[in-house]
Amino acid sequence: MKIHGLILAVALLGASEHPASALDCSTLTNPIYLQVGDTQVNLMRSLGRKLRDNAAKPITLVWFASGSCANIDLIYNHNPAAGITATMSYVPSTAEDATWSPANATASPALSCVPPTTTPLFPDIANSALFNAACATIAQTNPNVAVTRGPIQAYVLAVPEASNEHVITFEEGYFVFGFGAGSMISPWNDPMQMFIRTTTKSTLLAWAAQLTIPANKMQGKPEAASTTVVTDLQTSPTPAKAIGILGVEVYDALRSSLNALAYRAKDQYAAYYPDSTASTFDKQNVRDGHYVVWSPTIWMDNVAGTTPTKPDARYVIDLIAGKVVTPQPSFPATDVVAGVGLVPDCAMGVTRDFEQGPLRLYTPAASCTCRYEFVTTGVTSCNHCDATTPCTGTAVCRDSYCEAR
Amino acid sequence: MRIVLAMALLAAACGSDNKQTPADAAKVFDAPKPADAALTDGGVDASCFTNPDPNSNYQIINACTTAQKVYTTHPAPLLLNADGSLPPLP
Repeated sequence: MKIHGLILAVALLGASEHPASALDCSTLTNPIYLQVGDTQVNLMRSLGRKLRDNAAKPITLVWFASGSCANIDLIYNHNPAAGITATMSYVPSTAEDATWSPANATASPALSCVPPTTTPLFPDIANSALFNAACATIAQTNPNVAVTRGPIQAYVLAVPEASNEHVITFEEGYFVFGFGAGSMISPWNDPMQMFIRTTTKSTLLAWAAQLTIPANKMQGKPEAASTTVVTDLQTSPTPAKAIGILGVEVYDALRSSLNALAYRAKDQYAAYYPDSTASTFDKQNVRDGHYVVWSPTIWMDNVAGTTPTKPDARYVIDLIAGKVVTPQPSFPATDVVAGVGLVPDCAMGVTRDFEQGPLRLYTPAASCTCRYEFVTTGVTSCNHCDATTPCTGTAVCRDSYCEAR
Repeated sequence: MRIVLAMALLAAACGSDNKQTPADAAKVFDAPKPADAALTDGGVDASCFTNPDPNSNYQIINACTTAQKVYTTHPAPLLLNADGSLPPLP
């Protein structure tokens, strides 16, 4: 009632942001506190909405976005000791605001709350958007942290719509981001028009590893947030020279103003987009290994031995990772993950063992490729199935489609 | 003729040990054939690995696909070493 009243007051005032007298996050329904990479904010918004409406187990995701390495440091080492002190975000339930849309951050901003101050707040869940080992300077020996590998996050090099460029090679990327103004690669030879991230961010660490450049030697203008890279690209006074690194899900939502460059990896014959074409959303080339710039998302929670300290935090992680959970949620988690540009592990045909390492073929134990293709493209060649229309042969009916296994 | 040439390149790339030298790479990567250019909107590409179970990173990233292929028209980077290798970072 208190929460509803507060939201109503905001609505009546026509406010688009959180109220001045911020809400205590601990008063929300079953809060799970997360510190995640800013590439995962779209997931927080979509999954947060679903979990607030999840009648069998309502949960409020309360998140703060920061760099992957900082997130790892906080959950493993409680560094900084003060924990999370910044304003956090959450989304309204349908009952609270039926018109709120997870897909429209401008018209439907997240709501805000302040972390409880009685004791330092450390996250129930921390996330990194690349292999944790890529944050090499962060100690990761705390046995009371469990690690779960989640869906796949791809990264792109993006240029403004006004740019004439459509492709970049590994070798060009090495010179552009390794040599800066001295790269002799036209048109990307102005470091102030090369928008990168700081060295704790997965987007920078993944591209640095891919281009075989030490993270602290990446040339360009480092930005603290993906949103700033987006603004830099969209408002560049010299769009022909502008280039920036982004998570693919950020780019996917901005295709009207930005273009992703096709990327030709080392030893590759041709360049490819993350998707099968520049205009699709199927992540086919990520899934089959033709687009190589991706990392697994890693999800960490607190444990005592092997037992999760907060079972509902593990429930959330298992949903994100595509595992079977009890109680069954009121929504297909695969749809949520796929809908924000991530690729569920169950839809992947390749994998790797370390950051930007070589690819090898991969067969998930339980495939979701049919469902994934349907969610991201609207069509699939797989047969539909249900209780009265079973699959034939060895195919398995999963989320309404006959999957190969 | 172009297909024959592409098949010859494929055969070279698919040698018994599947290893590729930098010189081989330069031949393939820096001179996309006109035949390749016609394939940018998808289609069967002869200069790719056709085996259904590619057994290395090299075969995976160069497996045949109907996905859109994009070929650079940029000149080779001027700072590349003469043998096509990368110089150390400054």
